[in-house]
Amino acid sequence: MFPVLSLVLATLLLGTVVTFVAGRYARWVALATSIVFLAETAALIWQYPGWPGYTSGAVPGFAFQESYAWIHLGWLQVNYTVGVDGISLVLILLTAVLQIATVVYSWEETRRPGPWFGLVLLTCLGCVGVFVALDILLFFLFWEAVLVPMFFLIGYWGGPRRRYASLKFFVYTHVASIVMLVGLLGLVFYSGATSFDYSSVYLAGHGLMTVTQTFLFLALFFGFGVKFPVVPFHTWLPDAHVEAPTGGSVLLAGLLLKLGGYGLIRWAVLILPLGFHEAQPVLFVIAFATIAWGSIVSLAQRDLKRLVAFSSINHMGIVLLAIALGSSLGLLAAVLLMFAHGVVSALLFMVSGSVHHTYGTRDIPSLGGITPSTPVLATMTMVGSLASLGLPWLISFPAEFTALLATWDGLAYWVLLPLGILVVTAAFYIWMMQRMLFGPPRGIPETVHDLPWFEAAGMGLLVALTIVLGVLPFLLVNLITSSPIAGFPGP
Amino acid sequence: MDASSFIGPFVPELLLLGAALLIFLLDVLGIRRNETLSTVAVAGTTLALLSVLGDLGFAPLSVFATLPANVIDAAPSTTGLYAFTSLGLIFQGIFLLSALLVSLASASRPSGEKGAPIFYGLLLLATVGMLLVAVATDLIFLLLAIEVTSIATYLLVAYHRREARSLEAAMKFFIIGALSTVLSFYGASLLFGAYGTTNLVAIGHATGAVGYPVLVLLGYGFLVAGLAFKVTLVPFHAWAVDVYDGAPSDVSAFLAGVTKKIGLFAYFLVFLGPVLYLRTVGGSSPFAGGPIDLGGTLTITLAVLAVVTMTVGNLLALLQKEMKRMLAYSSISQAGYMLIGVTIGTAPAITGATMQIFAHVLMKGGAFLVVAGVGALGVGPLIDDWKGLGTRRPLLGAAFALMLLSLAGVPLTVGFVSKFVLFSAAVQAQGYYIWLAVAGLLNSALSVFYYARVLKVMFFDTAPAPSTPPVTDALPAGGLGYGRAIAIGFIAVTIVAVGVYPQPILGAIQSAAQHFVVVGA
Repeated sequence: MFPVLSLVLATLLLGTVVTFVAGRYARWVALATSIVFLAETAALIWQYPGWPGYTSGAVPGFAFQESYAWIHLGWLQVNYTVGVDGISLVLILLTAVLQIATVVYSWEETRRPGPWFGLVLLTCLGCVGVFVALDILLFFLFWEAVLVPMFFLIGYWGGPRRRYASLKFFVYTHVASIVMLVGLLGLVFYSGATSFDYSSVYLAGHGLMTVTQTFLFLALFFGFGVKFPVVPFHTWLPDAHVEAPTGGSVLLAGLLLKLGGYGLIRWAVLILPLGFHEAQPVLFVIAFATIAWGSIVSLAQRDLKRLVAFSSINHMGIVLLAIALGSSLGLLAAVLLMFAHGVVSALLFMVSGSVHHTYGTRDIPSLGGITPSTPVLATMTMVGSLASLGLPWLISFPAEFTALLATWDGLAYWVLLPLGILVVTAAFYIWMMQRMLFGPPRGIPETVHDLPWFEAAGMGLLVALTIVLGVLPFLLVNLITSSPIAGFPGP
Repeated sequence: MDASSFIGPFVPELLLLGAALLIFLLDVLGIRRNETLSTVAVAGTTLALLSVLGDLGFAPLSVFATLPANVIDAAPSTTGLYAFTSLGLIFQGIFLLSALLVSLASASRPSGEKGAPIFYGLLLLATVGMLLVAVATDLIFLLLAIEVTSIATYLLVAYHRREARSLEAAMKFFIIGALSTVLSFYGASLLFGAYGTTNLVAIGHATGAVGYPVLVLLGYGFLVAGLAFKVTLVPFHAWAVDVYDGAPSDVSAFLAGVTKKIGLFAYFLVFLGPVLYLRTVGGSSPFAGGPIDLGGTLTITLAVLAVVTMTVGNLLALLQKEMKRMLAYSSISQAGYMLIGVTIGTAPAITGATMQIFAHVLMKGGAFLVVAGVGALGVGPLIDDWKGLGTRRPLLGAAFALMLLSLAGVPLTVGFVSKFVLFSAAVQAQGYYIWLAVAGLLNSALSVFYYARVLKVMFFDTAPAPSTPPVTDALPAGGLGYGRAIAIGFIAVTIVAVGVYPQPILGAIQSAAQHFVVVGA
């Protein structure tokens, strides 16, 4: 079969390389690459046969598989194996959308445009790699490869404390990855898996004793949890976000956090079911703590970007809760939430970036009544906030509704806890809008312009998606539920 | 024994000796142009490298092969002085590659230095000693080969003999080196007393059967200590940083990158036999139930040395303000990773350790070459002096960033591949060895701090006011000089190429390691 997934990766790689050296044409190359990538993603989704429309290939349950020998030492069998199911496809679609939105939004980037756009593409390349990898080493490689471009994006283009934030980000997440690597290696060698491929690890992992599974699961969960981020390993996130440039924040919140959720589903929950079962109480506690902490701390934020960052923690807590339920409905909710949060948080980070450019500050109390002077920006803020607090007809609603339904199924009255927190979430968004958008104008400079076309276009794309998929959520749901793993157990 | 059968096996060594003698001859004739001397050294090492690669069975180079195929990995003899194992040949290749790169880069040294012929000559002679280490099967032969290298490198460090710093470094190096030699030979004499032989294979076979546990243990103890100086294991490391720091940067590249690897290979030769033997026979060893468990004691000693070395090296590297000292401490910690391979002693672990050595030669050697080049551009020794270098000199900055990322073990670099294989081998060996992997991984996480800090300084911190003008005349290739630029470029490309597709090299090392473990046990 034609190696379509390699073609997608090659497109991005080629685009990245050319963009790096393209100088002032970098943005055009980046845009062209993004459009081709989006088209390829659309073609993949169009051609995706769904489960159980296919059973061939080395790893049952995945479409468009490719597998080539990479490192074969007898005791160490590593392959380049890639393949996708509905869950990966949804997240690849998210990557494609956010990439194009980021490129358009930062159209007028003047500080070293070549490296800027190149690093943006490289980050997306790493994320796509994580979503298609079906070999432990390949997965880990892409996982780590994402760190380097993000380190440079924050460290070179970021805010005043960018050096500290980039270092903290790099070290924090790298340490987590290393613990995860111990878990992954242990998984391979303690289970006696014949290779690093997903299928052989899957089978061997199921055969492990409960104790071993639990230890391995906790090691993996630590690695994925820091990326999520879950309380108490979340402290890198507000710093990284506040200091990151807008495009960096978009990719960080929209994509990098999703790597944690995806990894947890694909490489931990499904492979180590007994360990997952033992660890479930821990996951619930951490999920509730993350939801509550993210939301309550958001209430106290003055900085718009920090507020969005903490609300991200809150949302990712709900994702963790949905995964921890261990039901197909919970899994569906988790993937939907990841997509929704990816789009909405990206939109909100763009909003806070634009507020910063336009008004020179992101301090909510010192701004007020910005709607008359910048109506487009205010509209975008409004859509983003309403979507984030879960208003029906917008993308987060079906996701959060599914999550609450799944929680009721699994934990009965415990559902009141996330429900109550949702009220707090609504409160801090509405309060923010009330102070910033409405009321008498405050802190508005004389020469204020509404959004430039490219910022409006970048956000507009996300707004459109928020509304379309909010009205027609089945487009995503069908894709996810046609994956083998959405109907536990897997292949 | 006719001449060809004796000369035949030693073609690479003889080629290097010839090149060294030619260089000294040119000196006498008054031809001292740096470029000419560098060309001779490069030609000698290249030919030797081709010959070694041919011997290794690399098909396109088979015309350069000089060893009969049946000699390589032949059944071990308990009497000979030397034997050709494919792992030894791989090590020869690594030594020659680094000597080649250092000679090439040295073409960019300021011309008109008085000692240039001595520099190249000694470099080649030191390499001859290393090549001999890689084929040794006799304890005395091994220690003498190490001496050949050591004496040449004492002089290399003192190359800038007018600089107090260089001289101090050389003096320290010499005194410590002499001490380590004495310890090693004393250990060897004790082992001879116990076993009645100095052949390593014979010693390996006899380890379980000799009834002088205290004598044997003392002998190994002295050898561990004596060789540990060469490998810069903590607590025998204190000399290394001052020496690397005081020596000219390209000599440091050679020292930190390569010469300590001969010590590691010596560790392979000396300890693997007995450790493996005692581990496999286990119960039947007279020591197993006796007062001293030699195999266990050696394993634990090596494991503790490995963990302490990497941890202390990393912690001290964190505190450094000077680039060369930081690299030197990181080099010490890397020695700890390599020792993991010796401690575990399985074929996978030897593969990992050898790969780590190969990677280290590229990364650390390359990093010191960049330091040499940047020094020639007039940048100071402090890490903070490198501010903005990455944006001012993007290509050089990118190459150095690659080397640091590789040292930190970031994927798609050779440094990741080697650590991955090494730690996988530790996990694969199961039992308590998994803790070696955990210690190694935690350490590599720790090391990210100081590598990332350099990246931060180079790329994110803004450059200071226009720095002092370069001290040397402006060299071609943007002030680096062609030789250095080519060497650095080659290293950077190799780091990525092997990082992306390591199978050919890893496969070769793995099969060599398998032979070696079978032969050694």
